[in-house]
Amino acid sequence: MAVENGAPIIKVNNLHHNYLRGTPLEVVALKGVDMEIFPGEAVGIIGRAGAGKSTVVQHFNGLIRPREPGKVIVDGLDLSDPTVNIKELRQRVGLVFQYPEDQLFERLLGDDIAFGPRKMGVPFAELRPRVQWAMEMVGLDFETFKDRYTFSLSGGEKRKAAIAGVLALKPKVLILDESTSGVDPRSRKDLLGRIRCLHEEHGMTVIFVSPNMEDMAGLVNKIFVMADGRTVMSGSTREIFAQREQLLEYGLGVPQVTEVMHELKARGYSANLSVLSVEEAEAELWKILSS
Amino acid sequence: MEDFEFLRNVTIGQYLPGDSFVHRLDPRTKMTVMILMVLPITFTLSYLANLLLVLVCLGFVALSGISVKYILSGVKPALGMITILALMQLFFYGDTYVPANMQIVTLFHWGIFHVTNGSVQLVFVSIMRFLSLLFLASLLTNTTTTTGLTHATEDMLRPFAFLKVPAHELSLVLTIALRFVPILAEQLETIMKAQASRGADMGSGGKLQFIQTTRQVVVLVVPLFINAFQRAEDLVLAMESRCYTGSAGRTRLVHLHMTRTDLLTIFVVAVFAVGILIVPFPV
Repeated sequence: MAVENGAPIIKVNNLHHNYLRGTPLEVVALKGVDMEIFPGEAVGIIGRAGAGKSTVVQHFNGLIRPREPGKVIVDGLDLSDPTVNIKELRQRVGLVFQYPEDQLFERLLGDDIAFGPRKMGVPFAELRPRVQWAMEMVGLDFETFKDRYTFSLSGGEKRKAAIAGVLALKPKVLILDESTSGVDPRSRKDLLGRIRCLHEEHGMTVIFVSPNMEDMAGLVNKIFVMADGRTVMSGSTREIFAQREQLLEYGLGVPQVTEVMHELKARGYSANLSVLSVEEAEAELWKILSS
Repeated sequence: MEDFEFLRNVTIGQYLPGDSFVHRLDPRTKMTVMILMVLPITFTLSYLANLLLVLVCLGFVALSGISVKYILSGVKPALGMITILALMQLFFYGDTYVPANMQIVTLFHWGIFHVTNGSVQLVFVSIMRFLSLLFLASLLTNTTTTTGLTHATEDMLRPFAFLKVPAHELSLVLTIALRFVPILAEQLETIMKAQASRGADMGSGGKLQFIQTTRQVVVLVVPLFINAFQRAEDLVLAMESRCYTGSAGRTRLVHLHMTRTDLLTIFVVAVFAVGILIVPFPV
C-alpha cells in the first residue's frame, strides 16, 4: 500500500505546456497540473486521448522542461534549472513509451538491454549482472535470450526486451506510458504481474498511464484523473472508481466489475461500490444473494 | 537544453489552414505562378531586378496572411551552412564570376582570397534569390493541401501523356512522400525521446566530435528505417487489398476549377516575369 513517508519524490505545481510554441499551429496541452507522488507508491494517471497524460509524464524525466510559472521537482532536482544533471535524472526516472519495441536497434538482444547502463557509465563487470536482472524481471530467460537476434523476436518478447532496457538503468521511478497496449492478453497479464512485483517486492515507485480501467484497478493505489490539460480528480483507487458519474462526465469509465455493482445498486440492491476485482465482486455477490 | 520538437523548425511543407486570396487560388495557378517566378529569379543577376522580385514575393506572403517571421524561422537551422557558402562565394568566385558588361574591380586580394565587385554582387544576389525562392516554396506548401498539390501535379503532367509520362503515378509518389514527412518526423521525435530516456546523449556530442555524433545517429536511424519499411509494406498491402491498380479507369472526387481570378493572376505574373527578363536593369 501507499507509504506516504516524508517528502514526495515527484512534485508538480501549476504546470502549463504548449506544443509548437511560437508557430501558427500552437496547441495548448497543459493548463495547470498539480500532482504529488510519494516514494514507493503505485500511481495511475487516467484521462481521454488529448487530456495531457503523456505530456505530463515526459516532464518527469526532463524530455520536456517546465516553463514559468510551472514547477516540477523530481527527487530533489528542480527541473526548471537548466544546469540540472539530466543524465542523472534519467537514470533515476525510467520512462517506457507506448510502442517501446520501436527503440530497439542492436543486433543482439543482450547488447540492446546493456545500451542504457553502458551509456550511464556502469563498469563492464557490472553490466552482465544488471542485464541479467533486468531480463529476469520481465520474464526473459538470460541464457536463452541474450544472444538472440533482436529483430527475430515476437512482438511480446520485443516489448518485454524494451522494458528491460529501461529497467537495466535500475531507476527509482518507473513510468509506463500506455506500454502494455497492443500485446496479447496473456503477455499483458504477465507484464502487469511483473510490474506489480517490481513495485511490491523491489519498492519501485510506479507511474502507470493506461486507458484500461481493469489494469488500473489491479495495479495502482492512487489515481490522478486528467481532463483538458488539468488534473480534475485525485484520490485512492477505490475513492476514484466510486465516483462513476463524474468519471463518465470526463469520458472515462470504471472497471467492469465496479460497473456491475453500480448497476445492482441502481436496481435497489445494497451493493458495495468500492469493489475493484473479480474476487471481491464474487464475495459481494454472494452477500447480496444470501441476504 | 535539448529540444525534441522538430516541427517547430520545419516550416516548408506545413499546411496552415486559412481563407486568404492565396489559399483560394487554384493549386495549378499557384504552381504556374511559382514556375513563372523561378525563371527570372534564376536568370537575373541585377541588384535592382532581384530586389523587385523579393518585394513581389513578400507581396504574395502579405496576401496569404502568413507571417514572414514564421517562414524565416524555418531557415534558422541552416543559417550556419548558408553563411559558409556565402563566404566561399565572396572569397573564391572573384575570378570566375564575371557578369556581362561589368567592369571587374578587385577589392581585396591575398593569397587564394580574391574579392571583386563581381563576387560581392554574387553574394548579395544569391541571398536575395534564396529569400525569393524560400518565400515561394513556403507559400506554395503553406497555403495548399497535399491533395491540392497532388491533383495539380497530375493535371499539369497530363499533357505529356503522349511522351508516356505516368502523370498519375508520379503524383502518387509525390503525395506519399509529402504525407510521410510529418509521420517520419514524429516517429523520429519519439525514438529520440525513447533513446534519450535510456541514457543516449542527443545533440550533446559537440560540433567536432564526428565519431560520437555518428554513433548517436545509429541508435536513431536503425529504428527509424525499420519503422519506415514496415509502414511502406503496410501501405502496399492496404492499396492492394483495395484493388488499387493505378490510373486506368480511375475517377476523381474533387475536380479543380480555374476561375477568372486564376487566369488573371497567371497573366499578370507572366507579364511581370517576362518584363524582368527583358528590361535591361542599370545595376
